[in-house]
Amino acid sequence: MNRALPLVAVLVLMLAPAARAGDEASDEARLGARLAPDVARQVAVLVQEARAAGLPTDPLVARAFEGASRGADAAGIVGGVRRQAGAQAAARGALGNGSQPDEIVAGASALLAGVPADSLARLRLARPGGSLVIPLVVLCDLVARGVPADAASVAVVTAARAGATDNVLLRIRERIHTGIENGGAPAGTTGEVVRQWLRVTAGHGRHGEGAGGESKRKTP
Amino acid sequence: MDPEREEKRVDERIRAAYRQPSAADEPARERLIARLASERTPRASGLRGWFAVREYHARPVWVFATLVAVLAVGSWLGARFAGRHAPIAMVPVAGPSDASTLPVTFVLRAPGATRVAVVGDFNNWDASATPMAHSGSGDLWVLNVRLPRGVHLYWFVLDGSEWRPDPSAPLAADGSFGGHNSVVVVNGGSGL
Repeated sequence: MNRALPLVAVLVLMLAPAARAGDEASDEARLGARLAPDVARQVAVLVQEARAAGLPTDPLVARAFEGASRGADAAGIVGGVRRQAGAQAAARGALGNGSQPDEIVAGASALLAGVPADSLARLRLARPGGSLVIPLVVLCDLVARGVPADAASVAVVTAARAGATDNVLLRIRERIHTGIENGGAPAGTTGEVVRQWLRVTAGHGRHGEGAGGESKRKTP
Repeated sequence: MDPEREEKRVDERIRAAYRQPSAADEPARERLIARLASERTPRASGLRGWFAVREYHARPVWVFATLVAVLAVGSWLGARFAGRHAPIAMVPVAGPSDASTLPVTFVLRAPGATRVAVVGDFNNWDASATPMAHSGSGDLWVLNVRLPRGVHLYWFVLDGSEWRPDPSAPLAADGSFGGHNSVVVVNGGSGL
């Protein structure tokens, strides 16, 4: 068995470049099928750079397709992909090199929304062993609903630090939405909902599963 | 006595002694061989094992054949996945029940719409790839799909031209191309 290990290692080393070349050619083919040749070339370069840097590349291809589907011009498509690539690199820097691809994508979205990079780092510290995908998605959503980025960051980081699970964060988000839809100021409503959850958590000695009411789930 | 002759004589006595059967009998010799065979050669374990010097025996023809085989497989994989005709992945509407995809239901109330589709990362932003089904006589449009695990951005497209975010989903705040994408997180746990 041990004698086979060096052979396996050699096989992997020899096949890895072929697989990588396959990925690159596959992306180029996909881009070429949907985009003008010049745009496809520019996007392909950005995708190759991201791959070389170890960053997720599917979101870059997706941004290019999104731009094409929504009628953006060449500069808009390339600019959108470039912004996504830059944000992914910054998100990985803030979240740490061990971050999962989905965390990097969600972190990039948060940065593009105007969330400060140090908020991502604080979120990582608040949940050192857990996934940050849902906290980052909630953070982005709050900003998109009009909550100032700083206030949204403080709310999500505070809740995560206090042990809020993903489900709790989703319920907090729903309560904030309801409050805003009912005329509450986004920042004030956000702070109040989180403070209320913290009071319930402290009172019950647990993490307030009932603080936010029922949430609709789309996936099991 | 001649020293040289004496030396030869001693040498001959030693050789004769070696040629004589040993004091131990044949069963004892077999026991010794069996014990030696049962002892495993000590090996460096763990990470050190990778750096330990070892002896390999290989016939050159097999080494050459292995290299040829590796190169052939590499070339085949390169051709297989680097082809210019690589298909664009489409979302299986009723895909196999494997662990890499999970069922997701999209629902939209869209009064007056005659066609509604979901367009997003999971179908290469192709507005014609994933149409929703009209639910009975109401205004509801429904789509059940299996999506890969991960974070996906999407929109609803009404009548081929009106782009509308999902009112029940979280929003991504980047809006690179105007507006906010809706977000679905497919993870099998606390999904959105």
